[in-house]
Amino acid sequence: MIQWKRKDLLGLYDLSAEEIIFILDTAAEFKKVSERRVKKVPALRGMTVVNFFVEPSTRTRVSFELAEQRLSADIVNMQAQASSLLKGETLLDTVKNIEALQVDLVVMRHSAPGAQNFIADRLKCGVVNAGDGAHEHPTQALLDLFTIREKLGGFKGLNVSIIGDILHSRVARSNIWGLLKLGANVTVAGPSTLVPREFEELGVRVCHNLKDAVKDADVVNMLRIQHERQNSGFFPSIGEYSSWFGIKSATLQDMKPEALIMHPGPINRDVELAGEVADGENSVILEQVTNGLAVRMAVLFLVAGCRK
Amino acid sequence: MNSYAQLYDAEQTKQGVRLLAEQIGRHFSVSGNGFALVGIHQMGVPLAQMLCEELSACGKTPDFGQLDITMYRDDIGTRNMLPRIHETIIPFDVNDREIILVDDVLSSGRTIRAALDALTDYGRPGLIRLAVLVDRGEPEFPIRADFTAFKVSLPPERKVVVKFEADEISPAGIFDVNWHKNN
Repeated sequence: MIQWKRKDLLGLYDLSAEEIIFILDTAAEFKKVSERRVKKVPALRGMTVVNFFVEPSTRTRVSFELAEQRLSADIVNMQAQASSLLKGETLLDTVKNIEALQVDLVVMRHSAPGAQNFIADRLKCGVVNAGDGAHEHPTQALLDLFTIREKLGGFKGLNVSIIGDILHSRVARSNIWGLLKLGANVTVAGPSTLVPREFEELGVRVCHNLKDAVKDADVVNMLRIQHERQNSGFFPSIGEYSSWFGIKSATLQDMKPEALIMHPGPINRDVELAGEVADGENSVILEQVTNGLAVRMAVLFLVAGCRK
Repeated sequence: MNSYAQLYDAEQTKQGVRLLAEQIGRHFSVSGNGFALVGIHQMGVPLAQMLCEELSACGKTPDFGQLDITMYRDDIGTRNMLPRIHETIIPFDVNDREIILVDDVLSSGRTIRAALDALTDYGRPGLIRLAVLVDRGEPEFPIRADFTAFKVSLPPERKVVVKFEADEISPAGIFDVNWHKNN
């Protein structure tokens, strides 16, 4: 029986399959807490968590904040716009100052890949990665894994297709590493500019045709297509992207009838995902949000629970 | 268990479980809403199951639940690692119910303190009592067992371990084991 020994959660790349399953099992019990009338446990009572978002975020930050409240932690929110980073302070100085206030955990989002690894090595307090550049978004992947396991029972031999801007996606990378460790077959699909062949080196199938990507899939995870990419020459227009790689009602005809449709949000309705598909029977998008809270409670509990 | 002594053998342990069930049976009736047993993970759960079976055989079938207290511990962040969280299942409405918490050993009383907090987050029971197989007699908190089968007095560095099933390491029974705190 394994036990949790890490003070930080930085990514899924470093975790073993057993550790991932351990987090999912822990999250299953925390999910029940949010279904009670008293939606709170005293686990992190007296501990302070700093949510340090150097890159803007709404839903991840809100999910973390609620998770922290339900664990009875005290919370401080810091945003880059209001921090001394703008006055020229280095990232390390900023977080060292935060740590000097005797905080127990730092939840951080940063645009630079590896920023969380850098500070985790230099801080005694725990660090949870809430997204670093195009590198990792471990809690998003964990909530995706939690949802898949809850709906389909496991991962061995499952076909999961991740579709969209794989190149710039930390959600895709964390999902790929987690899914492969757990024995799933992963396909990544999208235009070749956003889904380069190099991804095959990670052990996934690279595909540039939507129909081919979805036909055997048990799970289709649609990524948001960022409008700003349109001006960078990755694809000619949003409309053209949508017509080639967007999932519409008709696409469901080419898929397994029970396949799950997932999306990390926020959705661009009728761009990567037709509104009626996002709201349809195959969609588990809102359950992902519910599960995100449980997964973040579990992660915070585990990293806070280890003696530093 | 590298260094251990057997305090009670398998048969005496079974006898203790029957004794505990008899005590509970004398104090609680199944009239009205009846009563419920809630086992505390880990060993309180199989013990509560056995008590349920004994009580059912006498026509007094209680409701049964299982409780994990890890989220309510008072040593989170001070241990090298956290124990695994086990499943909490309370399949009945606890409001106004008579509930008996069940654990294998009453030692410091801290587990029971946590269990009271955990259970009352599910509602407002009418009454809570405590049944333990082994009472060590020197709790760190003002918590006492209402029903107990064995009283054992040992130095604090020793741990009392209850095993209901034999395995490759030792037979079933109640053991006195060398223990290092913060394990």
